[in-house]
Amino acid sequence: MSGGPTKPAVSGSAAAAIGAAAVLLVAVAVLWASGGGRIDLPWAPAWDLRLAFGVDGLAALYWYLAAGVGVLVFTYASAYVPRHLAHDERPRAEEWRVHAAMTLFLVSMVGLVTSEDLILLFVFWDLTAIASWLLIGFDRQKREARLFALMALLITTVSAVLMLIGILMLRAEYGTTQLPELFRLAEPGTTVAVAAGFIAVSALAKSAQVPLHFWLPRAMAAPTPVSAYLHSAAMVAAGVFLISRIHPLLALEPALLDALLVIGLASMALGGVLSLAADEFKRLLAFSTVSQYGYVTAMLGVGGSAGAAAACFYVLAHALAKSALFMTAGAVTEATGTKLLSESGGLARRMPLLAAGAGAAAAGIAALPLTIGFFKDELFFKAAAERGTWLAILAVLGAGLTFAYMARFWAGIFLGAPKGDVQHVERRLVWPVAFLGALVVVGGVVVAPFADLARSAADVTNGGPVDLKVAYHLDTRTENLMALGAWATGLLLFAGHAVITPALRWVERAGDAMGPERLYWGGLRLLNDLSDRAHDFEIRDLRSRVAAVIVPGGGLVALGVVLTPTAGAYAVGSFETEDIALGVTLVVCAIAAIAVTFPRGHLALALMLSGVGFALATAYALIGASDVALVAVLIETIFALLFVGVYALVPQQVLRREARRVEGRSRMVRDLVIAVASGIVTTLVVWSALSRPIPVDGMAERHIELADDAHGQDVVTVILADFRGLDTLVEITVVGVAMIIVAAAVRTRTRA
Amino acid sequence: MTTSALTRMISRSLLAPTLIVALAILVKGYASVGDGFSAGVVAALGILLQMLAFGRDQVTADLPIHRAPLVAMTGLFIGFAVLAVPVLTGGAPLEHWPPPDEKPIYLGTVELITAVVFDIGVFLLVLGSCVKVIDALAGAAAEDDA
Amino acid sequence: MNLLYAIVIGTLFGSGVLLMLKGDLFRVVAGIVLVSNAANLTLMASGLTRGQAPILPLDPGEPVADPLVQAMTLTALVIGFAVTAVLLALSLGVYRSGRSVDLDDLSEQETEEALEREATDIPPDEAVL
Repeated sequence: MSGGPTKPAVSGSAAAAIGAAAVLLVAVAVLWASGGGRIDLPWAPAWDLRLAFGVDGLAALYWYLAAGVGVLVFTYASAYVPRHLAHDERPRAEEWRVHAAMTLFLVSMVGLVTSEDLILLFVFWDLTAIASWLLIGFDRQKREARLFALMALLITTVSAVLMLIGILMLRAEYGTTQLPELFRLAEPGTTVAVAAGFIAVSALAKSAQVPLHFWLPRAMAAPTPVSAYLHSAAMVAAGVFLISRIHPLLALEPALLDALLVIGLASMALGGVLSLAADEFKRLLAFSTVSQYGYVTAMLGVGGSAGAAAACFYVLAHALAKSALFMTAGAVTEATGTKLLSESGGLARRMPLLAAGAGAAAAGIAALPLTIGFFKDELFFKAAAERGTWLAILAVLGAGLTFAYMARFWAGIFLGAPKGDVQHVERRLVWPVAFLGALVVVGGVVVAPFADLARSAADVTNGGPVDLKVAYHLDTRTENLMALGAWATGLLLFAGHAVITPALRWVERAGDAMGPERLYWGGLRLLNDLSDRAHDFEIRDLRSRVAAVIVPGGGLVALGVVLTPTAGAYAVGSFETEDIALGVTLVVCAIAAIAVTFPRGHLALALMLSGVGFALATAYALIGASDVALVAVLIETIFALLFVGVYALVPQQVLRREARRVEGRSRMVRDLVIAVASGIVTTLVVWSALSRPIPVDGMAERHIELADDAHGQDVVTVILADFRGLDTLVEITVVGVAMIIVAAAVRTRTRA
Repeated sequence: MTTSALTRMISRSLLAPTLIVALAILVKGYASVGDGFSAGVVAALGILLQMLAFGRDQVTADLPIHRAPLVAMTGLFIGFAVLAVPVLTGGAPLEHWPPPDEKPIYLGTVELITAVVFDIGVFLLVLGSCVKVIDALAGAAAEDDA
Repeated sequence: MNLLYAIVIGTLFGSGVLLMLKGDLFRVVAGIVLVSNAANLTLMASGLTRGQAPILPLDPGEPVADPLVQAMTLTALVIGFAVTAVLLALSLGVYRSGRSVDLDDLSEQETEEALEREATDIPPDEAVL
């Protein structure tokens, strides 16, 4: 750290980001209060694509989260990012990158949740992936940040290809990608099952569910505000959002729901265990996120009224608390300089406000009473108990794990003996945590507004009204007993942490050794090797590549010639006395063309080449094409000058060395054979084409007649500048672009 | 580059005729052989001749060579304008003006019709492009010598 | 005439291919010019008419050269011109970065660079796991 960062004011870019989030927050509040809204504009009518956006309950819930948490996280970032840059000795001017990418993310997220068209949704889906790639790789001077940003991008976008396939399958089957239409039309069947399955795989990858969970802890390479935003309220939430969105389709195929349940439970368990094993704050929180979204996935797998209600409420409660905890981690690291639980402790007295806010948030995740989190587990337990005893038991164990690692996180940082110095941090790093903590507690007392929002989201997910009632009941109903069981399990795990640590570490190591992340790296290495091989093969003999294009291409054409019926295909044509001049010119032209292949010197090459051109121009003139002849002469002149001009820029000895180079004999024979063969094939093709002209009576005459209407006498120019003006416009555009390329290529000097 | 006084005198005196020929090819292109492209190339060749005779530095000082890209882009712009203007007034892209049954306005023997405007665009683009390329090559050669 | 056209076009094309297979970049460019010349002549020949230039007023008794193929050939000529200019500039660029205009030399250089790269490359996961 160089001299300790000074108190930075909020930069313009940060203020803009906060402002954008605030505007979007007000927008959703107004829209939702006025009963939602729809926009439907034509986009690509030929493909029946529309820009269809709508604000329903589900969209409102996620929009609220993205914008609301956005305001707080962006505020936090305005203080955090300058510090982050100062630690790495990077200029503060780079700050805007984070704010711009976060805003892009927020806007894409809003687009994603309001899309009513699956194609549109896919576009925003990939936009969020791009924004997250920019954000995770923000420390681009660090190799790991780059690698892990790429990992997150690859996992989420490669799986998104499956989603696109699924969308196109639905479109092929039902002729639409509009969600309301699809829900109306879709019937149980293989297409829907496979398509919805593909979309779900992509969603699960985004929500970091087992076995594609490994990118999320790696994505902690991002600056902390990014983690607080993307990995709590937005990016990973987008996955479960998508599953909620297409839930009516998934519900048509019970096997898919069962798969969701299994994947969710596996993620819940694995995430919980690994979170308990972690020592790094953000790693703990990342696995906790895997685990928490595992709950949500499992609830979506349970489905029905109870499952949908639990899932939607869970997302809401979790996002508030989790982003507060991520921001806590960042603030603690800024204050103490450590990222590890084993190196921290006793901060409660030094940073009481942070401790209180983080405590409330941790209690929320651990589902203690008087927090909104209590209700999330109540709904969760209710849905699990309805499904069956075994699921109820797993639910209690999962909640116990959650309680244990949350207790470890909070107690590890804030309780115990103080370790190390504590530096002052800006208030902006603390009060967003406190605010969210307060919200978690308010939600635990006045739960109705939160429940209403979750209910309207669950209505959409379930495709019908759900029953979502939350309240404290002081009795021995199943949910309360399960909650007590979970706390007891959690306390036990927390207290016996030292005992079970070896077992936890073993799971961690086993995962590193044989987990799916190995597959990812192996695959990446394989692709790298493959691309190197292909490149080496390609460059080892560039010249053979030219032949490799010409020979198969010529072969195919020759095949066409052979297969075409020959009857009447070849006519020698008439040769009149008046053709003698033209004939002679053409023969001269052919001889000149052959002659071009002989000279060794480069100047002779250029001159002979223009000889061919001038001979051709003469032939054009004899045919009666005076315009073409004129242009051909001019172009040949310029060609000769261009060749000479470029030669002048290449040292003489290089050209001389090139001219003296002697070809190997076999090579020369090979080239000659290819050249003669391609010449013969071309002759045959052209001959047969000229022998059987397609009768287009009157094309020439019609053009000549119309020329008068266009007020021109030179029919060719009339065609160029008027009838086929678009061709000419494109042509001169090509000339203009070529000019830019040539000027740039000539000017660019050698790299050192 | 050293050239004899005679070469320079002839070259200098050829510039104006070259440009006039180019202009003639351009404006008479609609009635006779030639079009905007040929005109542009002829004019560029005229400027190239100056470069060969007097050297790049001298010509750059005498003529606005550095405006070549601007000229080229103006030409392209005119082309696209001819494409777009009829659309703005409710016609088809590149629609001809005046319509077939109307007499065009004559300036001497030059007709004022859209196609001529279009060809002027082509001329400017080709002239600008060729001069720019010639200038870039000459500039690179001068750098290599230095 | 058909046969003559065809043979001349075939010769142009064949010579072009022969040049394109050479190692010298400038010869490759010359080869491409010859091949596009062959294409232009094909376009012109496909009009199959020759006669007076299509410039009004026409002499009624005489045949007229097909104006449409002329217009198309013109467009092709100009685009061929632009492409060749770019190719020449790229050859110059290749010379400047590789100090050679020979494809065999360049292949060798690339291969050497590839071997160097293999020797110094860190596999993506080595730093991580």
